[in-house]
Amino acid sequence: MPSESAIKVSELTKCYGKLLAVDHINLTVNKGEIFGFLGPNGAGKTTTINMLTGVTKPTSGTAFISGFDVKHEPIKAKELVGVVPEVSFLYDEMTAWDNINFSAKLHSVPKKKRAALARELLRLFRLYDRRNDRVGAFSGGMKKRLMIATALMHEPEILFLDEPTTGLDVQSAMQIRDLIKELNEKGTTVFLTTHYIEEADQLCQRIAIINRGKIITVDTPEELKNTVKKENIIEVSFDHAGDIVDELKELSEVRDVVIAGDKFRLYVEDPAETLPSLVHFAEKKRLKVTSVSTLKPTLEDAFVKLTGLRPELMTLEKENTKPS
Amino acid sequence: MAEAWIEEMKRVFYIAEKDVKIYFFKGPNLTFGLLLPVVLYVAFSIGRTVESAFVIPGLVAMAAFFGAGAIQAVSLPLERRTGTFKMLLTAPTSLSTIIFGKTLAGFFFGTFLSVVYTLIMLPFSPLPNLLPFFLAILVSSLMFSVFGLLLSVPFQDIPDAMPPATVVRIAMVFICGVFTPIETMPASLQTVAYALPLTYSVDALRQAMSGSLNNQMFLIDLAVQIFYSFVFLFATIKLLKKTIE
Repeated sequence: MPSESAIKVSELTKCYGKLLAVDHINLTVNKGEIFGFLGPNGAGKTTTINMLTGVTKPTSGTAFISGFDVKHEPIKAKELVGVVPEVSFLYDEMTAWDNINFSAKLHSVPKKKRAALARELLRLFRLYDRRNDRVGAFSGGMKKRLMIATALMHEPEILFLDEPTTGLDVQSAMQIRDLIKELNEKGTTVFLTTHYIEEADQLCQRIAIINRGKIITVDTPEELKNTVKKENIIEVSFDHAGDIVDELKELSEVRDVVIAGDKFRLYVEDPAETLPSLVHFAEKKRLKVTSVSTLKPTLEDAFVKLTGLRPELMTLEKENTKPS
Repeated sequence: MAEAWIEEMKRVFYIAEKDVKIYFFKGPNLTFGLLLPVVLYVAFSIGRTVESAFVIPGLVAMAAFFGAGAIQAVSLPLERRTGTFKMLLTAPTSLSTIIFGKTLAGFFFGTFLSVVYTLIMLPFSPLPNLLPFFLAILVSSLMFSVFGLLLSVPFQDIPDAMPPATVVRIAMVFICGVFTPIETMPASLQTVAYALPLTYSVDALRQAMSGSLNNQMFLIDLAVQIFYSFVFLFATIKLLKKTIE
């Protein structure tokens, strides 16, 4: 059954015993868009992807991939998707060429087309020269590129990418982001989970923020930023500050204070009213203001406001649980 | 419909082919599949007079039993631990197809080892009735392959899966008439022996080697093994489905 939406999820729920991993979520992903699924570690992002791609069964609710019910027509649904999990699903003992061909065989890619497509993709992902090497010897970035190539062998309509840049060096991460953009320009719908807020902002046309199994909001990055537009931010740094967050929170008009590296971000109603009290505070505490500026709200600010989570905490959690 | 079925059959073969390439020569396979039957045979036969026509069919059955089982104790837990199982699960195929593919790989390994053992033992044994003997090897390898898969379902890693599976197998070897005739065992043990699948494999191979093949008994042995294969297959699919739900 043809459908306008690439993915349509209604009241989708997953329980592991008493743990509610995904809690009655609803979302629609349009054909041809890059849809971001943003949330901290353990928010339910991977579980959602697993339900949509046939790795695990939903406890309740429905999910459709291009009109095919993942519960009742899983094979038809799986024919349309390519999946790149967070942790490598490649066989380390096999060569890059054998891995990519094995996946293509499982997806019934005809033999003649298989070889040509494998060559094309391995060249595109700059792995052709290493095609006869065992995957076990590949770096994290190479494995990730090969996983994407493998997922594209059957030319899927929808590509699921689960944390595609986690654990990669800056250059590899940039390359993967460029590839995602290119694929989307060619018409592939991309469902991307990430805990990197900037990545979601750069790539996605719409973003769903998920926390503790519940979707908090779904909107475009710009609209999400607008949710915090009424708030102004003063970013200030001192020569030697110490733990002054609580004291800063008591200044007039300050609604919240967030530490950002060596700076403090003060969320205020009106910067003009807060700045004099900030200067007075610095004088009183004998602190020298080394820099002060007002900022436009970012997606990170929207995320903080909507989830109550510190973005750096989210990254830390993920890095600490990174598979070896 | 027929085309879809052919595609599924192809996928069964591709999965089996991949398992053969990756897991046939893994260390634990060779240790538990190739060497353990020999070790058990040597340990039992030292200081005893053993009749080759009695023990050799048991040894060939053990080769199928340990061989087909060993690859399953490696492949499924390792795929689940390393994450490669996701490549299979996200492919447009059913869990049953994945299980059939893995069964086929174990079947190949069990058959291969049994034939190797048969060829090695041939100079020391009476010439078997070749067709029934080979048929018995095929049916036994199929049953032991699914049995091995069933034993490995609860485990996510090789070191966890190997020991319990080996204990179960060794216990079965001593109960199922591989070294000692079942008729000489106490009645209670005989009841246990007749409930275990290895008994029928050993009996079928022994009949095929005896020179006086009892067709009816031989067919019963094969039928029981095929019945067990279906039961194990059904249980494996059910259990594995439960673990991924």
